[in-house]
Amino acid sequence: MIAEAGTPKLGRTSAPFALSAAITIVFNTALACLKDVYTPLKNAMSFAGHQDWTTQGVADVVLFVVLGLIFLRTSLAEKLNPNRMISLLIGASILAGVGLVAWYALH
Amino acid sequence: MNITTSDAILLAHAAFGALGTLSALWVFVDALNAREQNARRIRSAAFAVAFCIAAAWVLGGYWYLHFYPADKILILNGPWPFAHKLFMETKEHLFFLTLILSFYLPLATRDALHSNRAARRMVLCVALLIAFSGLAIEGAGAVVNRGAEVALLRANAKRL
Repeated sequence: MIAEAGTPKLGRTSAPFALSAAITIVFNTALACLKDVYTPLKNAMSFAGHQDWTTQGVADVVLFVVLGLIFLRTSLAEKLNPNRMISLLIGASILAGVGLVAWYALH
Repeated sequence: MNITTSDAILLAHAAFGALGTLSALWVFVDALNAREQNARRIRSAAFAVAFCIAAAWVLGGYWYLHFYPADKILILNGPWPFAHKLFMETKEHLFFLTLILSFYLPLATRDALHSNRAARRMVLCVALLIAFSGLAIEGAGAVVNRGAEVALLRANAKRL
């Protein structure tokens, strides 16, 4: 479960869920933009969870858990360089944050 | 003194958000000096982050669904419509970024941070991302609040 002392590797659980978090964060921003331009999607999300925002939050958490478990089984994330994984998560977070601000500032 | 349910929920939402942000900062500082002795404390602080941000989500979500629609109309008809169009819209979606990172943090702190540099760097980065995004969200909340205030002030000024 835990990386051995001295090895520059993320733990068996940490790596898959880091990759899952990066994907979920980008997915969240993409979904926020997509539901604004495609009304049927927004309506379907509102129908599914009382309000589209509620559905989006639940979808994000479910995606994070499911992808994390998939990556945990496939050990795909463990093969990635830890520094690359950290950069991926930071990059995804900055891209998602700036993307949301730009979208709502220009939309 | 007249504190409504709406006020109590909104204040609790902001308080949990601030506590979650502070806990993330605590994880960051403790992880900077990661040793075997403080590993348990780092994990506890990471769980505190996840708990506080989850509580902020539930409370904020309830308030947003049940009480915000009235404020939204007020803000959109007031002098600061951008308080909703830009700040609230960004805040409510950016929050999920903080939420996902907060749920990830306890998993990241399971690694031996004192001996694994990569794991320690990951925890430092995630904690800092939570702290920065948490501060941005708290700030956006203040702008939304001010948007409602200036709308009410203008409405009152017109009546006088």
